[in-house]
Amino acid sequence: MKLYLDENKNAAARKVVLNDMMLTTELSTTAGSKMLEGYKSLFEAEAVTRLKAAGFEIAGKSNVGELSLGLLGETSYFGAVTDDKGNLALAANEIVKTTDAVGAVGLDANGSFLRGAALSDQVAIKPTYGTVSRFGTVSVACSGETVCVSAKSVADAQSLLCAIAGHDDKDGTSLSDSECQRLCADAPRESIKKIAVAKSLALSADEATRAKIHAVVDALKAKGIEVEPIDDSVLIAAKTAWNALMCAELCNNVSKYDGVKYGYRTKNYTNIDELYTNSRTEAFGELLKTAILFGSEALSTENYMPVYDKSLRVRRVICERFAEIFKDYGAVLMPVCSKTAYTEKDVADNKYISFDEASYIAPAYISGLPAVVVGGVLLVGAAFSENALLELAKIAEEG
Amino acid sequence: MLYMNSDILRRLQKLNQLKLTDSEERDVLAFFEKQSAELESLSSAIDTENVERMVHVMPILTVVREDVVVKNFTREELQAGAPETMDGYWQVPRLVE
Amino acid sequence: MAKYETVIGLEVHIELATNSKIFCSCSAKFGGEQNDHVCPACCGMPGMLPVVNKRVVDLGMTAGMMLNCDINRVTTFDKKSYYYPDLPAAYQTTQWFAPVAVNGKVRIETSKGEKFIRIKQIHMEEDAGKLVHDDWTDTTLVDFNRTSVPLIEIVSQPDLNSAEEVVAYLEQLRSLLRFAKVSECRMEQGSMRCDVNLSVRPEGSDKLGVRTEMKNMNSISAIERAIAYETARHIDAIENGTEELVQETRRWDDIKGMSFAMRNKETAGDYRYFPDPNVMPVCIDDEWFERIKKSLPELPSVKKDRYIDELGLSEYDADILTQSRALCDCFEEAYAVSGLVKESANWIISNCMNVLNRKQLTADMLNIDGKALGKLILLVADGKVGHANAKKILEAMFDEDIDPEAYANENGYIVSNDTGKIEGVIRAVVAADPKSVADYKGGKEKALMALFGKCMKELKGNCDPQVLRELLIKIINE
Repeated sequence: MKLYLDENKNAAARKVVLNDMMLTTELSTTAGSKMLEGYKSLFEAEAVTRLKAAGFEIAGKSNVGELSLGLLGETSYFGAVTDDKGNLALAANEIVKTTDAVGAVGLDANGSFLRGAALSDQVAIKPTYGTVSRFGTVSVACSGETVCVSAKSVADAQSLLCAIAGHDDKDGTSLSDSECQRLCADAPRESIKKIAVAKSLALSADEATRAKIHAVVDALKAKGIEVEPIDDSVLIAAKTAWNALMCAELCNNVSKYDGVKYGYRTKNYTNIDELYTNSRTEAFGELLKTAILFGSEALSTENYMPVYDKSLRVRRVICERFAEIFKDYGAVLMPVCSKTAYTEKDVADNKYISFDEASYIAPAYISGLPAVVVGGVLLVGAAFSENALLELAKIAEEG
Repeated sequence: MLYMNSDILRRLQKLNQLKLTDSEERDVLAFFEKQSAELESLSSAIDTENVERMVHVMPILTVVREDVVVKNFTREELQAGAPETMDGYWQVPRLVE
Repeated sequence: MAKYETVIGLEVHIELATNSKIFCSCSAKFGGEQNDHVCPACCGMPGMLPVVNKRVVDLGMTAGMMLNCDINRVTTFDKKSYYYPDLPAAYQTTQWFAPVAVNGKVRIETSKGEKFIRIKQIHMEEDAGKLVHDDWTDTTLVDFNRTSVPLIEIVSQPDLNSAEEVVAYLEQLRSLLRFAKVSECRMEQGSMRCDVNLSVRPEGSDKLGVRTEMKNMNSISAIERAIAYETARHIDAIENGTEELVQETRRWDDIKGMSFAMRNKETAGDYRYFPDPNVMPVCIDDEWFERIKKSLPELPSVKKDRYIDELGLSEYDADILTQSRALCDCFEEAYAVSGLVKESANWIISNCMNVLNRKQLTADMLNIDGKALGKLILLVADGKVGHANAKKILEAMFDEDIDPEAYANENGYIVSNDTGKIEGVIRAVVAADPKSVADYKGGKEKALMALFGKCMKELKGNCDPQVLRELLIKIINE
């Protein structure tokens, strides 16, 4: 059984951009951090190996926010990227927009990859957790982070996903073919006839975003797909829980960047504590530091049960709510972010804007469910429903 | 829940080998306050009394490998990007016993 | 003076006898050049993901079963965070929430008789690296060869009350785990080390005193000294108020004979344990459980009784053999092939042990093929190979895999039945030494032995002594 339709096998010499969370041996991998400036990996990401095997050519790396945190790429040590209108943009989408690269592949944990695609009118797919190997990526939040793809068209995004999906022994969370088959038994087999709109999430977005939702809804309705608003009061709990889980795992994952083995080392130290503290303090940006401290506290003896463990339980509640929804609906439609454009001022006014914007992407990330960005909106489906979601995406794409 | 003040924040920085500036500390305290409020409301919004925690989203079990030795990289390759090494060791300031 | 009771609980770390590390495929072998058994995963580089070594779980379960524990059929891994240069990822992956084995017990015997020490849990985890302090540069050098080498930590309940009990308990753990081939348990190589948690209370009291922990003890005699010192320090503090006891981690300095409070970072912070999202729960199904159960060796004490009761060995012989799994295996194989109990035991206890001693090897390092030894024992019993030559064959067996009979043939060690040849040798020896012949005839038995020896030497030992003796007497008396 194939997980993803492979409509375009002829990838020969088509160029693809990697976000700078993907390790490569030819190019340095910085994860947008001064800590890893010039860092050369000894091995490459499994997804990169698979892209090459499928005939794709690596066009280069695209800048990310530090450890992919932040709204788009603005927390990168190497600076923010803006589009031709002066709005913040994700480097991956800007490169695809302005070059002959067919699309981008990158690790995402906090939604910036999905937001970037939505804001530049591109398509993005976040596949079901465990279907694309995370081997060779700079880990952020292992329990939900996913290697995602984006492109100008649904078909291109699909061909990238086909190239990278599949079991990998080197990733202990990678699903084997038999596990996929077992789990796919519950996956929707037919085309989606009815979708839900997450009511309060849709209403919380601005007018321009709501207009995008309407446009997609109209396109789907025109093809006879039923659309109904649903109560999303459980789904909105995902934001707080995912922010806590993501930061806690992030705190642990970035503790290895300590100035000892590789990467940035401060010049200003006389003992090991100064070496650690000054290296990390000098090399990490403010948002990353905030996330580390928050994540550490979420795991502390006092807070483990009320914060971390609670968030793990909320994760199950959300997964169960999704399962309930998917009994009646083929997908849940929601915004990707609250606005259709962000300026540097938006970020300056609210440093923690990405934690607020997590409302929209958190339900998919905390649950590991697949999601597709198309027409500036997000469609979240049941596990392994990528094919069905992409059918919807094609309808929305055609308008 | 997630109670934070300057003293705890200072200990927290030490634990994580970070040092914030005064203005960063103020912002982080405000951030904690906001997250704390959110977590409080999450606590009452979602009842998890009889819910099992969910660490892994995919219900798969027992991913193990065979006990076979593989060597892919030399010490020289692994230390190529090291800030400081000596005689094949990574080098740090002397630790006080 | 009031009487005091010492209360001790032990955390024993044991490196598992695997080929590769717990989460990556680097060699777990002891030694090697610094940072030679290292990969991007175990030196904390980004991008590698942990995949559990199945053998580690096998051995964790084996240890659990050997120590009478319940096995957790779903066992999980967790991360423990702290900064220290020997910990490259700044976290250790261990088992906090669902360790592989719980609720066991170990029987010990001391001068006071038998006692059971309860085991709280056994968990699997990764070892840390090694730090070397360099005086010339005044720096610390870091070696990650031991990083991620698999360990089990055996946590006892505070059931031990004396150094004698602690030693008996450690010896018992070592014997059981060596028998089950879980680990070589070599304290001098650090593959067995122990944290001693100790408190003191007035005898009869049910309230525990202030507990101190001495970390990373790696010799039995140092542990005995440390317990004596720490007990005295606690009693002194309680009786005379010499100092205020605080719950802390201490380092034992065996040269100074004193313990010191540690200012180690590792003792400072909150470890922030949480379940490792990268490692799926390990589910031990019935088939796996039974496979390990079947692989368990007979316990040394049970073996010893069987050797005495069923095989008729002396207690002394049974004691020596059951010291080591290698000796037992070799003995049982040799016996199975030869069918000769006493000879099999003797060959191991005297001849094999002699070779081991000469090579400065321990009993555990006996690695000759027991079946080949059985064949050798048969060759001797059948009179095909003389004793002296059999020992030479045994020596060769230590160095290479050989078939004793083929080897005896190649080297001319097979006893000759050619009486013509033997007679020829005897006549030559007798002719060359008329004095001994005369002495023998004059009643000196010893003279016969001298002649016998000369003949045997000429024949290179390849002669049935009985045949030689009879022929010799016959020829002298002709």
